[in-house]
Amino acid sequence: MFQNTKCECGHQNPTGTVLCEACGKPLDEKEAGGTDLLEMRYDGAARRSQKADPSIIDQVWNFFSSVKIAVYLIIITLIGASLGTIYPQEDIFLSNMDMASYYKDTYGTLGSIYYKLGLSHTYESWWFILLLVMIGTSLVICSLDRVLPLYRALNKQQIRKHESFLQRQKAVYTGATDNGEEFIALFAKQAKKRHYKVTRTEDALLAEKSRFSRWGPYINHIGLIVFLLAVLARAIPSWQLDEYVTVPEGDTVRIENTDFFVKNEKFTVQYYKDEELPAELRGTNRAKLYRTDAVLYRCLADCGPSSPEPKLEQVASHDIEVNSPLEYKGLKLYQFDYDSTPVLREVSPMLIDKQTGKQYGPFKLAMKNPQTSYELGPYKLELRQNFMEFAIGEDGKPITKSRDPKAPAFIFLIKGPGLSEEGEPYIYFPMQKDKAAFSQDKLNKGIADRFEIKVGSMTDVKFVEFTTFLNVRVDKAMPYIWTGLAISMIGLIMGAYWQHRRIWLRLDGNAVTIGAHTNKNWYGMRADLAAALKAAGIQVDPKSLDNGGNRT
Amino acid sequence: MRGSARRPVQIIILLGVLLLGGYAIGKTLFASKEGLPSPGDTPPAFTLSTLDGRTVSLEEYKGKPVVLNFWGSFCPPCVKEMPEFERQYEKWKGEGLEILAVNLSEDNLTVQNFVAGMGLTYPILRDVDKDTERRYKLRQYPTTFFIRPDGKIGEVYAGGMKEADIDERVQRLLKD
Repeated sequence: MFQNTKCECGHQNPTGTVLCEACGKPLDEKEAGGTDLLEMRYDGAARRSQKADPSIIDQVWNFFSSVKIAVYLIIITLIGASLGTIYPQEDIFLSNMDMASYYKDTYGTLGSIYYKLGLSHTYESWWFILLLVMIGTSLVICSLDRVLPLYRALNKQQIRKHESFLQRQKAVYTGATDNGEEFIALFAKQAKKRHYKVTRTEDALLAEKSRFSRWGPYINHIGLIVFLLAVLARAIPSWQLDEYVTVPEGDTVRIENTDFFVKNEKFTVQYYKDEELPAELRGTNRAKLYRTDAVLYRCLADCGPSSPEPKLEQVASHDIEVNSPLEYKGLKLYQFDYDSTPVLREVSPMLIDKQTGKQYGPFKLAMKNPQTSYELGPYKLELRQNFMEFAIGEDGKPITKSRDPKAPAFIFLIKGPGLSEEGEPYIYFPMQKDKAAFSQDKLNKGIADRFEIKVGSMTDVKFVEFTTFLNVRVDKAMPYIWTGLAISMIGLIMGAYWQHRRIWLRLDGNAVTIGAHTNKNWYGMRADLAAALKAAGIQVDPKSLDNGGNRT
Repeated sequence: MRGSARRPVQIIILLGVLLLGGYAIGKTLFASKEGLPSPGDTPPAFTLSTLDGRTVSLEEYKGKPVVLNFWGSFCPPCVKEMPEFERQYEKWKGEGLEILAVNLSEDNLTVQNFVAGMGLTYPILRDVDKDTERRYKLRQYPTTFFIRPDGKIGEVYAGGMKEADIDERVQRLLKD
């Protein structure tokens, strides 16, 4: 469609201009004759890059330049993001379980469909990232296409505007004056009092206030772009880490994918007393506080998982509690969980000759990789077999049900005076409960009447009472995310708490025409205008300045 | 900005979007899947010691068909599989088949006793602190990887197999 973009005032406007850049007269011929209120968005300036014959690049550009498209993108993204909240996302689970069956078993057919659609990792899916990238693009292009023309329009405003431009503002005054010169001077003085910036010619005036608030939305957008880029930057290797480590009390454990080791020096847990708990929770152990006294080491050499003795250097220590992580150069260790199931580590039992009452030992028996032979006085113990979680298999043979010392059992061959040449087998259960459950004496048959292996007291038993779970995090993007959010907040405040107010005055002989515009708070705008008129000798009720359509 | 600068600015911004956005989206598409390494993937490298004290890395076996089996004495289907693997090893050894059986971080005595009782002749590797199994993202025991001579995974089987299942897969592996 051909559009004549040359205004009657002689100014040549770019394609898409609504109000003449110079005098403000509506350019559309239909509009020009009307008396409706003007659409003042972007001061009527043409969006940048609006062309009569767009190329492919222009078409792509124009697609992203549309605010309508931006709104649709945001709505689609919101709907997409909400889908991810129906069931828990995969990444919250720590264990390496089979996710497909987890969703099916826990949430039924819907869960299975949810998993198959990939909604169990909504926020990492290609379509979600694509939407974010499109929103980012739209942010940049929309802003650029609007802020530059707006900047130009506001930077070189013509003071004397077209009559129809003034008449069709939302706050208008028309009247007459005997002394135009004096009227303008008094009007200007009052406007300045109210912190307006006044520019004037002989027969026109422009009073303007808080123009900077117009840049608020764009500064907000810059902040959001910084935010989005920071989120994307997390993809840079070593910028983000999210690991979990299990550290039994007293142990030093390697942190996967880092050079660091962490030691759990001591773990403390305090529970709520019954009187501190609501009735329905009484009698249960509710943790009030749990704390890991942790030491962080950096590994200098021999760091591999199969290395028996990595060379460590202490770099930090901290008593980690919930919300009080250990921090070291961007690495943070958070208290995540704990386990209070005791784990047996080592026992020091004695060999007791039941007939003579003589005791031999004690000897150290580690649960993991124990020594295989022991000399005890005249007797010799050879460790033949060990079981971490003892059980009797289907074929009647002893088996182990796991690799953790939950129900350890050891089969020794005892050699010595009064015993057969090749030795006699003796099975030993360090834990009293297992000894009873598997009837140790019965299994040992005859030898049980002559010998017993047992610990003297609890001091001969070493076990780990607590195991702590720590969450190890690195997030180098965080400072940039905060910067982005701060910029965005500044923009929001600029746009929200200040208003750009403008008053145009035009003198035609004795006739005075005044139009005023603001983006919000018309009440204040009219009050400013009425005050200026009053100072110039004209009493008006601020309400009478309303040209229609103003509710505030 | 005047009209002359407009086109270059457009092109720079669109190119920037294409690059950054393409990278971000590409990453989600080609991200390492959470689950087990799958057929066509290169299996994670490892260097582990064997029961008889040698050191073995997966790399040394490049060019040969390899059956990589993860097992533990605490896992009954693993235990059941071991003699089947032994028979398969005897059967296909001549064709170049290698079997590597990685124990799931159990202690010395347990593994020694177990292997001695079985009379296994293929190498038994010792994982430490679940490191290798974690890198292979195992969710179930036993899990067996059939690795082609070109070093890529041909097939993966999670769970216990019957001897016929092993035989069939080994034959496919030897054909590659």
